[in-house]
Amino acid sequence: MAGSSVFDDIQFYLLNHHHYVDIPPEADDYDSVWVDLPNALFDPERGHELYQRFARELRLAEALGFDAIALNEHHSTQYSLMPATSVRAGYMVAQTERIKLMVAGVPINLSWPSRVAEEYAMLDVMSGGRMEFGFPLGTGMEYWSNAGQLNPATARARFREGLEVIKQAWTLPGPSRYDGEFFNYRYLNTFPRPFQKPHPKMYMVGAGSEETVRLAVEFEAGYSVIFVPIRQQLEAFALFRRLTEEAGRTPRPEDLAITNIVYVADTDAEAVHEAKPHIERFFSWFHRVPAKYLLPPGYVTFDEFLRRASSAALADGTRATWDDMTAIARIACGSPETVADLLAHWAEDAQTSRVIVTLSIGDMPEWKAVKNMTLFAHEVIPRIRARGAGPAAPAAEPMAAARR
Amino acid sequence: MTRSFSEHQVAVNGVDVAVLEAGDGEPLVVFHGAGTLTGFDSLLPLADRFRLIVPHHPGFGLSGDDHTISHIEDLARHYRDVFDALDIRDLSLVGHSMGGYLAATFAIDSSERVRRLVLAAPLGLRVPEHPTTDMFTIPNEELEAHLAANPSVFDGKVPDPPTPEFLASRYREATAAARILWERPYDPRLPRWLHRLTMPTLLIWGDADRMIPVQQIDVWADLVPGAERRLLPGVGHLLFDESPDAVAAVAEFVGEELTV
Repeated sequence: MAGSSVFDDIQFYLLNHHHYVDIPPEADDYDSVWVDLPNALFDPERGHELYQRFARELRLAEALGFDAIALNEHHSTQYSLMPATSVRAGYMVAQTERIKLMVAGVPINLSWPSRVAEEYAMLDVMSGGRMEFGFPLGTGMEYWSNAGQLNPATARARFREGLEVIKQAWTLPGPSRYDGEFFNYRYLNTFPRPFQKPHPKMYMVGAGSEETVRLAVEFEAGYSVIFVPIRQQLEAFALFRRLTEEAGRTPRPEDLAITNIVYVADTDAEAVHEAKPHIERFFSWFHRVPAKYLLPPGYVTFDEFLRRASSAALADGTRATWDDMTAIARIACGSPETVADLLAHWAEDAQTSRVIVTLSIGDMPEWKAVKNMTLFAHEVIPRIRARGAGPAAPAAEPMAAARR
Repeated sequence: MTRSFSEHQVAVNGVDVAVLEAGDGEPLVVFHGAGTLTGFDSLLPLADRFRLIVPHHPGFGLSGDDHTISHIEDLARHYRDVFDALDIRDLSLVGHSMGGYLAATFAIDSSERVRRLVLAAPLGLRVPEHPTTDMFTIPNEELEAHLAANPSVFDGKVPDPPTPEFLASRYREATAAARILWERPYDPRLPRWLHRLTMPTLLIWGDADRMIPVQQIDVWADLVPGAERRLLPGVGHLLFDESPDAVAAVAEFVGEELTV
């Protein structure tokens, strides 16, 4: 490939959701795995084992030469054991030496923006500048699960102010003052300040809406997108590039991230056979949530609500078939060649060099997750890197260390 | 005689406010609750004696949206502007549910304008022993049973299955309600000021109310000087839809001193 390409500096982020993996035998009795799932289903000893297991997987990610670990946050759900993702990130900073950590992240509406700025600055300083941060509005479910003081009808306006406070805390010499509709700081004075200058890389985490893309461009942040159909992702990315150019800047491949569910095995058939039940349960169980919880009052506009209510696919997403899912979402299961080709195609199509992969998903056992990660690092990453002008060697530990 | 409402719009602060009117005479304004699903035809008997006025709150029914309204006091001030636009000075006021919370809030600050006040199963007080049902967390399939003891009030009002447009219009009204009620469906300062409701006041409640327990009527009666009470046996939260007696009680109470 001539000239520069998305593959010259392509980077692979291992996202681990930290599911509480044990699906209860009476799963059919529950309409929702979010908000009101009885927390009696949580066994602390099992939880402890799972935190240890996922720490092993994340340490392995560093040893295998992944570029970054990505962690996210959700509340009151078996989907996630990270309702306080900064706590987990602090633990993983201490468990790793080289690898970047993306925390994507605390929905800042659930905290004080000054406190998020402080926690994230701590992580950046403790890690020696290895942090990146994603800023989600928070799913509708988080607004049910958290204090009533958090009004979904004003969530977006509050979120914008929170971002302003954080950016100001990191970039304006303190103490500084902030007078907002939701927040009022007499002495905004984050101590410590972040390690990286001017501040760690920021991404907005969106679901394809134009509003979030505009926010990302306005705050000069990157943009990443969660599970929405690929076509919608590409539209959002195109809008991001157009708005970035209109703002007088050049869009860069590292400003966009795609999120993928991946499973690698020796053959396509073996990969699908091993991964399919876990990925199906990821959608049918871990994603099980009624429309009411997805969309608390005011979380989206009337028009957006009508659009979603009118779309059968969106209204009944958790009952989608395997073929439906693989047709519209970034799910790559196959041999190393198949997966490398698909991911390379997606990265090129999206003009992104930041590839987030989930390799341990649903109720997948640890042995499959480790096998998948190992094959991905040894057989897929080098095949994709080879398409660029950057280091083409396998992403094994020595080369990974040398890159740094 | 068979009456019906005429609807007109008044522009207030850039928002088109829908106003239903019927009848002539002294103005009697009804503040509706946190939804317009069942409509207001059950109130039409009041138009026999009064100029009955039922405005739709911003974000509800046929009125436009006003995202700047985020507190019950914003809504009360909004109605000062609406009444100015309608050239209404003195009035009798009926408020149901969230509209009762609104009517009490309005009357606290404008007690000289409110001739007589009816609070019908009003929201707005925090009563830990008999807490208000959280309207936002009721499962959709249980909502009707919570709202009315007599489910026939929903006949012909709810498409089966619900259409996207129907669901979206409910979502819009829930959003407008959430702007005011999400943080808390009561005002902790309200008891401090209810003594200002010195106009003749009627508290009326269905004793089968599953949204706002009828026991709350005692707390209101303790706080509002000289308030009368009226209980409706077997009637749920949508008392005006469910019970012609509730509407007749309002007519009787508000018309008590009228010589018409």
